[in-house]
Amino acid sequence: MSLPVPDIDDVNRLYFEGTASGELRIRHCKRCESLFRFAHAWCPDCWSQDLDYKLASGRGKVETFTVVHQAPYESFEDRIPYVIALVELEEGVRMMSNIVDCEPDRVEIGLPVKVAYEQRGPVMLPMFTPDV
Amino acid sequence: MSNHVTIAGAYEIPPRRYREHSSIDLFRMILGGALAEWQISPADIDGVITTTGGDITGHDTYIHGRLISELGINASIAETMNLGGGSHQAMVNRAAMAIHEGRANAVICVSAGKMMRPGLGAADAMVRAICDYNLEGPYGPWIAALYGLVATRFMHEKNVTAEDLARVAVSARKWALLNPEARQHEAGPLTIEDVLESRMVVTPFHYLDCSLPSDGGGVVLVTRADLGREWAARPAFVKGYGEYHPRGTVSDPGSLIETGAVISGRKAFAEAGLTPADIDVAQLYDAFSSTPLLLLENLGFCEPGKAAGFVNSGAIDPGGSLPVNTYGGLMSFGHTGESSGMSLLVQGAKQALGTAGPTQVENAGNVLIHAYGGIMFYHTTMILGDEP
Ligand SMILES: [Zn+2]
Repeated sequence: MSLPVPDIDDVNRLYFEGTASGELRIRHCKRCESLFRFAHAWCPDCWSQDLDYKLASGRGKVETFTVVHQAPYESFEDRIPYVIALVELEEGVRMMSNIVDCEPDRVEIGLPVKVAYEQRGPVMLPMFTPDV
Repeated sequence: MSNHVTIAGAYEIPPRRYREHSSIDLFRMILGGALAEWQISPADIDGVITTTGGDITGHDTYIHGRLISELGINASIAETMNLGGGSHQAMVNRAAMAIHEGRANAVICVSAGKMMRPGLGAADAMVRAICDYNLEGPYGPWIAALYGLVATRFMHEKNVTAEDLARVAVSARKWALLNPEARQHEAGPLTIEDVLESRMVVTPFHYLDCSLPSDGGGVVLVTRADLGREWAARPAFVKGYGEYHPRGTVSDPGSLIETGAVISGRKAFAEAGLTPADIDVAQLYDAFSSTPLLLLENLGFCEPGKAAGFVNSGAIDPGGSLPVNTYGGLMSFGHTGESSGMSLLVQGAKQALGTAGPTQVENAGNVLIHAYGGIMFYHTTMILGDEP
């Protein structure tokens, strides 16, 4: 298995179209103004299906993280140790990502980070680096 | 739910690596062992509830039908269900509700598991099973890493150290040394230094902070109370149950460390009419060393921030004020994949039945069992007692 590549589907298409042009988009409910990840076909707060999106600033902070020393499978072997983090975006939405271009020892809860992108197959994946 | 339903028998095969055995072989070993112990016949049983058995090809989707056929019974209720590690108490609850409503009298709740191994398609199947493949999968998560995210946050907020986590593994080993069925029974005592010196898997977990991948399974017999009194010297009464499935995943909003256990626990205590102070033994799902600490606080056994001190005092060890994971836990007894929660249930039921042998806690009147599936999302809490 090579590194996992997201499947583009009806729920996330607008998200990955955004990352391809360097935009980090977050889902927005036009009825109740909730902001959430592109993981829902409807608003998880009011079930409205009238959704658009907002542009995130791309800045946030590390809410929690783990340094992976044992890869889950072969394709991640040459990345260890790598950092998986939950990043809280300035807009208040949480998302999973990797913290890259940074010694794992430097990562801590509260670390300010900003988005960067990695080409993965046909997809641009949002990653984060320290925001210094 | 109290007064009406009992667990009349609890049986488990020792967790091992049963490499030559399929999951259906394991189901047969479990049921064969139990039926040899329990003096019952096909006409006594009118329900079968089971979990899937870790058969990655999906042949176990309708395992309840196969077991009904092999057992030669006619069932009024039957189901193959899956709440991951939270399945097993949910099985007892589904059986108890049916018995309560008069739809069944005696139900076999059985579970077998084989911990997934690497192999053709296993990595991809694992990512798809445990997380959002599109928004999380590309970042390389696996079960230990997802737990690591929760544990790092817990340690940060509650000032918990790596030594505190290790102390949970040390306690589990103390119990395993008493239990001949535990995989680490012969492994000798564990020290905090042993844990900290074992290789790092994902922070904050060293190898010995992790549960032990195994195969195995068990079964409980859930019955009308009058049948329980007939079939068991001291049946275990189902006194309270709580279940809660909070919305979301680790990537969604909400506290990572105030889990659904807070609410499932509250429901179980309310139904049983008991408080944490009334509990004599607790089995708390320990996929990793951090989770019993978190659960001790979420379930109300310790004030927030006090669980590490509680564990360090020896309170959960043999002879402590609240024996926890009295069989060795998933860390030193073994984690049997789909059947993991069954170990907590069987060993909790045995404490209440008074049949826990060398690990039996004296005066184990009320036993609390808490398990969950997913990355701490499908929560089930059950309280068993030696009297209604
Ligand atoms: Zn809405």
